[in-house]
Amino acid sequence: MVNAVGHIVDRTPSGEVLSRAQSRAALVPDCMVEARRIANTVISGWHGRRRRGIGENFWQFRPYSDGESLSRIDWRRSARDDHTYVRDREWEAAHTIWLWADLSPSMMYKSRFGTVSKESRALVLMLALAEILARSGERIGCPGVMEPVSARNAAERLATALMHSDLSAGLPATGMIRGWSDLVLIGDFLDPAPAIMDRLGPLGRRGMRGHVIEVADPAEETFPYAGRTEFTDPETGEKLTAGRAEILAEDYRRAYFARRESLGEGLRHMGWTFIPHRTDHLASEALVSVHMHLSGMPGRATHGGQL
Amino acid sequence: MSFLPVVFSSPLMLAALVVLPAIWWLLRLTPPKPVTEVFPPLRILAGILKREETPSKSPWWLTALRMLMAALIILAIADPVVNPRVGTLSSSGPLALVVDNGWATANDWERRVRTADALITEAESADVPVSIVFSADRENDGVPGTATAARTRLAAAAPRPLRPNRAEAVAALRTGLDGTRPGTLAFISDGIASGDDTVMRDLAGLSPQSLRLIEGDGGDAIALTGAVNEADAMRITATRLESAAPRTVALTAFDTRGRAISNGSIAFAAGEATASGTLTAPFELRNDFARIGIDGLATAGSTYLLDDGFRRRRVALLSGEARDQSQPLLSPLYYINRALAPYADLVQPTETDLAVALPQLLEQKPSMVIMADIGRLPEDTTPAMTRWIQNGGTLVRFAGPRLAAAPADDPLVPVRLRQGERALGGTLSWSEPQPLAPYPATSPFAGMPRPEGITVNRQVLAEPTADLSQRTWASLADGTPLVTTRTLGAGRIVLFHVSAEATWSNLPISGDFVEMLRRVVQLSRSGGVTSEGGAAAQALPPYRLMNADGTLVTETGGARPLEIAAGATPVADGEHPPGLYGSEEGFVALNLLPRDASLRPIESTDLPMPYTSEALIGSEAWSMKPALFTAALILLLVDTLIVLFMAGTFTRTRRLRTAAAMLAIGLAALGVGIMSPQPAQAQAVPPTQAAPAQGPFDDTRPGDDDILGHLDNTHLAYVVTGESEVDRISERGLAGLTEFLTYRTTLEPGAPVGLDISKDELSFYSLIYWPISANAEMPSAAAISRIDAYMRAGGTVLFDTRDQLSSLSAVSGTSPNTERLQAILSDLDIPPLEPVPTDNVLTKSFYLLSSFPGRYTGSPLWIEAQPQSTGEPSERPARSGDGVSPIMITGNDMAGAWATDDNGAPLLPTVPPDEMQREYAFRSGVNIMMYMLTGNYKADQVHIPALLERLGQ
Repeated sequence: MVNAVGHIVDRTPSGEVLSRAQSRAALVPDCMVEARRIANTVISGWHGRRRRGIGENFWQFRPYSDGESLSRIDWRRSARDDHTYVRDREWEAAHTIWLWADLSPSMMYKSRFGTVSKESRALVLMLALAEILARSGERIGCPGVMEPVSARNAAERLATALMHSDLSAGLPATGMIRGWSDLVLIGDFLDPAPAIMDRLGPLGRRGMRGHVIEVADPAEETFPYAGRTEFTDPETGEKLTAGRAEILAEDYRRAYFARRESLGEGLRHMGWTFIPHRTDHLASEALVSVHMHLSGMPGRATHGGQL
Repeated sequence: MSFLPVVFSSPLMLAALVVLPAIWWLLRLTPPKPVTEVFPPLRILAGILKREETPSKSPWWLTALRMLMAALIILAIADPVVNPRVGTLSSSGPLALVVDNGWATANDWERRVRTADALITEAESADVPVSIVFSADRENDGVPGTATAARTRLAAAAPRPLRPNRAEAVAALRTGLDGTRPGTLAFISDGIASGDDTVMRDLAGLSPQSLRLIEGDGGDAIALTGAVNEADAMRITATRLESAAPRTVALTAFDTRGRAISNGSIAFAAGEATASGTLTAPFELRNDFARIGIDGLATAGSTYLLDDGFRRRRVALLSGEARDQSQPLLSPLYYINRALAPYADLVQPTETDLAVALPQLLEQKPSMVIMADIGRLPEDTTPAMTRWIQNGGTLVRFAGPRLAAAPADDPLVPVRLRQGERALGGTLSWSEPQPLAPYPATSPFAGMPRPEGITVNRQVLAEPTADLSQRTWASLADGTPLVTTRTLGAGRIVLFHVSAEATWSNLPISGDFVEMLRRVVQLSRSGGVTSEGGAAAQALPPYRLMNADGTLVTETGGARPLEIAAGATPVADGEHPPGLYGSEEGFVALNLLPRDASLRPIESTDLPMPYTSEALIGSEAWSMKPALFTAALILLLVDTLIVLFMAGTFTRTRRLRTAAAMLAIGLAALGVGIMSPQPAQAQAVPPTQAAPAQGPFDDTRPGDDDILGHLDNTHLAYVVTGESEVDRISERGLAGLTEFLTYRTTLEPGAPVGLDISKDELSFYSLIYWPISANAEMPSAAAISRIDAYMRAGGTVLFDTRDQLSSLSAVSGTSPNTERLQAILSDLDIPPLEPVPTDNVLTKSFYLLSSFPGRYTGSPLWIEAQPQSTGEPSERPARSGDGVSPIMITGNDMAGAWATDDNGAPLLPTVPPDEMQREYAFRSGVNIMMYMLTGNYKADQVHIPALLERLGQ
């Protein structure tokens, strides 16, 4: 239908999304995930743990105690007095961040008010986050698609992995995610709020910190329909005919925002963050928000922890 | 009419009405198609959507509307016809038919014939004889005959471009009936009374069994009765039968070839029988009007013929003095010429001798002769002139010194003049220059605005006579006549008491002068006046006659020549049908109705017997089909709008809303147009001006950018010789001079430009520096010719032979460069040359210079020799006029001295090595540029010594 407000789009090719994601990521500074909750892993990374351990940076000199390997003695320091010192380095650990984007059929939607489809925007956000975080040395994973890797080209690898896998089935098994990881979920979250909370609640209780980016098309938010209109659900194929759509707009908006409100409220109770994002806005906006939450920027204080 | 007798032409179609219930059922069933939208958050929507808000059926009134539409279409196809004709014929006597076939019947003649034919057929079946007469025919036979004979005569009759003469027709009928009492007397009338006729009374006098008045739509007839040329438009008057309805008709003016050249309209107010309208067109175009017609009414009455009384006049101009073309503003004919050229054809004598010139002019049959300041005509030309005036010529004279000095008994002035002229204002006069009084009401100038700002300093005075004021067309504020007139035979003499140029008054340079002359020209008789023959009545043969449809035909069969006698206005009648009488050279238009006639309805009151009134066949048998279809179409439009509205089209987006509104308005306008074609036609939208060519008109040409780049600023230019070193020095030299100019003067030239004189445009540069090099290629003849054209058009070329040094040591006397220069100059148109004199502007145009050195010093700068002023004192320094020398020649290698590198360091040493010489070389360049750009404006500088001396310093 020529006059239709929205339509279903094809899946965006990974290469195109990757290049767009990289150009968005170039706009955002490096993101070091806030260190206070860094997982207690032995994998070396860039998060100084403020304690001695494996790392590259100097932490302290301490007197040599017997039994330690002689190779750890810092002879240069020891030569200055009568004691023998060992040079300790700061324990530097990496953090694992799981990224996941919902690519279900409802995401393949673009209205003429939005600049891109929701799926395209979600992929761009995911890959841009991967790019930014990989630049900071974090480990990037995608549940069901890619095991966490700590590589500079994590975004490319994620894009490649996405090409060969199907994300349309919803959030996969999260058993391999261990506690103290960060989880970034990108999707439209159009299911009823309680259903979503039922699925995300166990994750939060396992100690994971989550960031939910809700990607919405402007048409879904503003309901710009009028006249006799037949609405189709892209996921279920269900049809619904409204005689005069314009009189529904008010009620619909109220219901829509109420759902978003309750979802955001529930997530905040879990200590997660909730970032609504519209496809007619710049992807960088969502990127900066999630960047701020991940890195615990001072902006959190001024905004009271909310957007 | 109490009921509508409706007959269906195709009654079988009415059977289709039975399908209406089926249509009802179908219409109720089908809801409008929804717009399909993908909507991911459907579950949220589903939570709030109330099922019952989606009607699956159209509202009942929409269905009813559509049902009505369908019913209307079915009815329309069945073609109902209202009021078919009914009537019976009295069989007790012969059927007498009086048929109008005057001008107003042309439009519905077919129906009149059908009506008469139907009556004849009825008479045939009733077996009664038929007597038929036609009111506009000259001869009628009223004897009752067979129906076949009557039908033959009916078929032969045609509408005539005449007013019906019903009295004669009735008389013929009376004679033919010879006392027999007619059964039915039917008068098929056009409804317009002709003169004072009492036709209904006359018909009733025949005492028929029954009297029927059958009227067509002759009441719609409109006749044009007059056309007057006004200042800015032609005013047309028209008349119709008095009617309560207002009516507007469109007018079209045609030229002699039948091309429509102007449009206008006439609006009759409600209840008005006469109206007037204007045809606005430029005067020149109005001259071409030959015929004015009413659009959609092709009758002899609605066509107005114009003769050459509206044409351009031929005006002969005579002046007393040999015209001095070098001072046109002092020539009296100049102003007359300028004033009349748009309105009249002007002829001027080829000879200055009046005795030869005047007969020559009269031979060309002018309508008007204008004599500016001619004191007295040669004795032997006066009789011819007088005859010409008596035959209708108009003589317009302007005063002047010669007329003022002429003897007072001149027969060709309208009033007796006092000898000499009267001067108003001046050193020895108390009187002030006089303004004009308002034009008297009897004057043809009446109606012009009161003349403002016109003052008369000098005039010739008329001897006071009793009738002077009647003969005065314009006078001064103190009452002395300014324009006087006298009729002489059929002609007229007009005298302007001031001269035709601006020395006596400023009238000739005012707009009133143009208007006055134009009105005088309009008064004059057109078509040419000869000085031979008397003013006897003329008999003009028919040239083109008008037929009943208002078109001119060459067939002039029954028409007699038209007698034109003075004082009598010819009237169109059977022997002189309306048309053009005369010949191709000149003709008189005879129109159907006399000027300011009006149409009146036929008197039908106070009759001794009752009569029935009915209409023509085909007028009342009225088909309802178009009206039904129109109603159905309107319903369709309404339905469309409703459906669009219900589908939310108007609320979806602004763009769609606009488009739909436009569509709806367009459709509605179409519907209105279909409903009422008559008003739509009558509105007669004037043809829109031909829209100027749309779209970007691109007239750029290749190279325009270059040209524009060089036009933004002054550029110094040099000729590219092809020798790279010479060209480099030229370029650097001019760059150095440019820098010097920018630094020292307000002139800030752009970068120097190298010119290929064989093809580059030269005219952008005021000075072209041309270093002569013997080694370079000799420029082609075409290139030299371009240089020649450049110099002729005001440009200057500075030739630099750069050989001052070598020529000193040359054995032969001339260097190769000089020889080359001579070769180049041999093809150029070179003025005589001289070295720059000490008092030339060049020495003073910016710096005070005594010589013009370059790299070398000593060579003079040659410029165009200024003509020696013989009569003037030789001390006067600015000897020459405006001219800037088109050529300068030096041998000092100026560019060499000016040339600097990018750091401003000189490239070449001066000879001798003296930096002051370089400074002077730059100053020479500045002076030359200033001289080029300012011309002799700087010549004032040469007065400085004298000015300073006067100031006492």
